[in-house]
Amino acid sequence: MTAITLDGLTKSYDATDMDDIPDNEIVAVEDVDLEIEDGEFLVFVGPSGCGKSTTLRCIAGLEDATGGEIRFGETVVNDLRPRDRDVAMVFQNYALYPHMTVRKNISFGLRLSSALTTPEIDSRVTDVAEMMGIEDLLSKTPDELSGGQQQRVALGRSIVREPGIFLMDEPLSNLDAKLRAEMRTEIQELQNDLGVTTVYVTHDQTEAMAMGDRIAVLNDGLLQQVAPPEEIYRRPANEFVAGFIGSPSINFFDVSVDGQTLTAPSGFSYELEDHSVEDDTVRLGIRPEDLTIEEGGDDMTVTVVEKMGNENFIYGTVGDVEVVARTPVTVRPEPDQRVGISFAESAMYLFESETGAAIKTKTDEIEPQAAQF
Amino acid sequence: MHEKLEKEALWQFGGYGFLVAVTMVMMFPIYWLVVASTLPQSAIFAGGAGELPRLIPGRNFLANAEALAARPEVDFYRSMLNSLVIAVVYTGLALLFCSMGGFALAKYEFKYKRALFMGILGTLLLPTNLLVIPLFLLVSNMGLSNSYWAVILPWAAYPLGIFFMKQAMQSIPDSLLEAARMDGASEFQLYYRVVLPSMKSSLAALAVILFLFQWNLFLWPLVVLREGKYTIPVAISKIMSNDMIAYDQLMVASAMAIVPMFVVFILLQRHFVNGILGGAVKE
Repeated sequence: MTAITLDGLTKSYDATDMDDIPDNEIVAVEDVDLEIEDGEFLVFVGPSGCGKSTTLRCIAGLEDATGGEIRFGETVVNDLRPRDRDVAMVFQNYALYPHMTVRKNISFGLRLSSALTTPEIDSRVTDVAEMMGIEDLLSKTPDELSGGQQQRVALGRSIVREPGIFLMDEPLSNLDAKLRAEMRTEIQELQNDLGVTTVYVTHDQTEAMAMGDRIAVLNDGLLQQVAPPEEIYRRPANEFVAGFIGSPSINFFDVSVDGQTLTAPSGFSYELEDHSVEDDTVRLGIRPEDLTIEEGGDDMTVTVVEKMGNENFIYGTVGDVEVVARTPVTVRPEPDQRVGISFAESAMYLFESETGAAIKTKTDEIEPQAAQF
Repeated sequence: MHEKLEKEALWQFGGYGFLVAVTMVMMFPIYWLVVASTLPQSAIFAGGAGELPRLIPGRNFLANAEALAARPEVDFYRSMLNSLVIAVVYTGLALLFCSMGGFALAKYEFKYKRALFMGILGTLLLPTNLLVIPLFLLVSNMGLSNSYWAVILPWAAYPLGIFFMKQAMQSIPDSLLEAARMDGASEFQLYYRVVLPSMKSSLAALAVILFLFQWNLFLWPLVVLREGKYTIPVAISKIMSNDMIAYDQLMVASAMAIVPMFVVFILLQRHFVNGILGGAVKE
């Protein structure tokens, strides 16, 4: 088990052959500072091209960092080859060796880089196969396996070496929704049991929220925020994080501001307590579940009602702004109906228009649990 | 519905009929070669001009083969052995070089890679005739003339083979190589434990191409080899070099010369088709 430190990690690519690229380089990851604790499950999340996979590949040693330092414990590993870093990686497409049986796929790393004898290797492979529930598949080749089975083999292959760090690059994205949910739980259980530091990359914010001890949100190569899931959701550092985390996405409105007083055409006004804004407008954010739909009002025109079974998503427009509300199933307005919307001030987020930095985040309390197990 | 099926069947029948006809046209010279190898010289051209040659096999195969064996200047069976040794060693060596070259070009980034690749492809434009003199001087200076190596080495890094393997290896996902690197494989282990075994079909297809190329090579072996080291094409040309051409011997030699090619092709046929079509369809 190993702690990971990223100290000013930067990765850029030479782009001298490409037109219209300033400074002839593409910066994929810029000045990322991050400490991942021993045994922690950290999830990198962000949109495509945000640098999350590049960061993971730098940690793995598959990409050379162009700046900054990567440390495992106290050891700087920038110049170490992947094989010398004591890390195991699970790839998006599983990357199983197509010509080898499951047994050979799992034992390949041990045969190459350990001093174990053949019986010892066999016994380890059998133990891991039992742990992953793939004992019956050991003599099959990858093309004879389903996606879920291949994923288990790929996980088995990374576990068998007992590495200090697990790296996972979107390992569930090729599975169907049901299997994905199952494997999500399995990976979490596995990580809990083994206690190995795990860095997991996904573009799926639901997966990130569900799995991570902490989440690191990246955008355009820059680290936006690192925090536990609940904090990321309730206290996003900026407008990007607020918009990226949460499904359906948070609603944003532009509201006028004069010093400390916010006003909207609807008559809404709000006094900022300890913050003064120089801009003329700020961005007001409100989560879909914090919007209340009121019949008889005249704020929003309903466009679509999505009935999810346990709740409804009400889509509509307020002026030019598209809005979504998450409501109990009993709230079911008709399309084209005019409805009122309201929200508690404690549920409101405010972001600076220019920089997107958070001015105010949710202040409402989470209701205590009905029962403790 | 019934009519549609009938029409489809008719088209299928017509299509197969056409393919069978084309195959027969292509196979006919080979069939005649085999038949002629079983006939005495007098019977080969018995039909005369404008008539079909005799198409029923005779019983002179062994007699023709014995007559062929009796000609020391041809030394046919020795040439057969020479060709086999050269073609087998060449195929093995060229597979190694072509797969290594192809792997480097497909999976590594290095300076001037594109220029190098273009240079390799460019050598395909040079006709063998043009290369004969410089190659001969090179091989002589290396002290290799009249040796198997003189025929094996010059095309061991066969440009077409490097191109073929590069194209095939581009289909290997990078993550497969990265997984092996994470598993502790060195770059060479990557090549022979992961890349080569996943490329069996392409290697088999290339093996057929390389074997046929070397088996049929004529001009260069003629220049660089002397009696006793001749390969099959050179030996066959020697059958024709006297005042009278012994067609019976020529036919029996040619018939025997195509046997190894058939054997190689049939052994690797399944892989050959897979290899040639590799990457053509998404699986």
